[in-house]
Amino acid sequence: MIEEPYRWVEAIATRRDYIEMQLATGSPVVAVGYVDGILLFTVGQQKLFEIYDRIALGAIGHPGDIERLRMAAIELASTEGFTRSAADVSLRRLAYYSLSPVMKNAFEQIYGAPFLARLLFVEIGATPADDLFLEVDYDGAIHLRSTNEGNRPFAVLAATKKSAEQMIEFLRKQFRVGKNLAETLDLALDSWLIGQLKADDAVPADDELRRQRSERLGNGTISAAVLERHANMAVRYRAVGASELAPLIAK
Amino acid sequence: MDKPALDLGADFPSLLRRQGLLGPPAPVVSTRAEIVPTESTTILAFKFADGVLVAGDRRATSGNTVVYDRADKVLEIDRRSIMAIAGVPATAWEMARVLEHSFQFFRRTQLQEMSVDGKVRALSKLLRDNFGFALQGIGVVVPIFATFDAKVSPSARLYFYDAMGAQFEATDFAATGSGSPAVRGILYFENTWGEKPLQKISEDDAVVVALRALDTAAEADTATGGIDRHAKIFPVMKIVGAEGIRTLPEEKIAELFHKRVE
Repeated sequence: MIEEPYRWVEAIATRRDYIEMQLATGSPVVAVGYVDGILLFTVGQQKLFEIYDRIALGAIGHPGDIERLRMAAIELASTEGFTRSAADVSLRRLAYYSLSPVMKNAFEQIYGAPFLARLLFVEIGATPADDLFLEVDYDGAIHLRSTNEGNRPFAVLAATKKSAEQMIEFLRKQFRVGKNLAETLDLALDSWLIGQLKADDAVPADDELRRQRSERLGNGTISAAVLERHANMAVRYRAVGASELAPLIAK
Repeated sequence: MDKPALDLGADFPSLLRRQGLLGPPAPVVSTRAEIVPTESTTILAFKFADGVLVAGDRRATSGNTVVYDRADKVLEIDRRSIMAIAGVPATAWEMARVLEHSFQFFRRTQLQEMSVDGKVRALSKLLRDNFGFALQGIGVVVPIFATFDAKVSPSARLYFYDAMGAQFEATDFAATGSGSPAVRGILYFENTWGEKPLQKISEDDAVVVALRALDTAAEADTATGGIDRHAKIFPVMKIVGAEGIRTLPEEKIAELFHKRVE
């Protein structure tokens, strides 16, 4: 029955609904540029990862699927970096030539299992204009977020399209070039809180949002990582330490 | 992405082999090669008050010929590990590259730093795989590995290897390469009868000891460059300590050399 084109389209649509439902409870991931690099931020289980010297990953989805995609990305980047050089490892190539076709294929092979995962990659360049924010969806679709010459260096992963839009809207209003890490952590947390709102909740005012921080955060553990632009090591990835996160909750 | 069920996926050399990017371990055969390989000689490392100092002269030789006088035999592997090499640079630099990528690959995939013992063992395995070449006389590498682990005591760790891959932990100092007998003599003397044991001396004193040791080694061993007074080429020195790795600037080495060695 699947041989009939209409059935196939129907099966794909059903599969899409199923995956969206599975992803609907995922904790959002926020990526925002700051004065020294790019911050990745989320709350909950570990889902911020180092991929290569200048590339990091945040994800929503099933841990098993995230793990498979993460491993594939690390293997590809590492072999490229070993055989050629670290400068030849590019996020664009990784996503377009390797991950996207594999995810699209898995999604459309309706007798096999799709990847229940939505990935947000960030790559740090020599200047903010060279930074890259790139999202790969479960069906292999790629959303490349232009940083607009470094003026709007942010991207989010959210469980639903509406939350993603609300988060981006918030960041668009609040983002200023040249903020330090502490200020950007604040911004990322507020944006994450907006991503957590239920579908029919109104977006609260800024000061209200800050007041409700601890209650909205619940028992969630904050995790954050940065890609530093001018670290004097080749590896730019660094997990943000507990001492740097402490002021967020204290306020 | 297809992998055996129990493969943790963290072994980078075997990933390379699977993809045909790294040769298989050299077979052990008894024929001796006719070529005279390029070799580099005399490296030393010792613990001092702030960590481990690793130093190497700059000469690479092939038989009686000096091939290169600015070779860097002291290589950074990660934030806290240094590998220094005596032997064939072609093999050694490749080993350093594999090692560097292996440690990073492990950290990225397993989400934790490889243990010091794991790192030490990884180098041992690479040497063991290279044993066939070593037997043929064309790929002998005798490294020193220095690292710093703030979580354990003593924090500064120093290892030396033989060409077969046996690892030995050194308590105070290590030296390998053709000039090493002289260097070991000097380090032993300094450590035992010097003003203070090596582990208590300051950074400046440590640099002076290393310079004197390499100069002495070069005096009797043609394969060791020591200090080139005409071309102003000084040994490479790196320090691994609590803050990570620091390469000593040439000006500082030169200044101490003129003040206290020359």
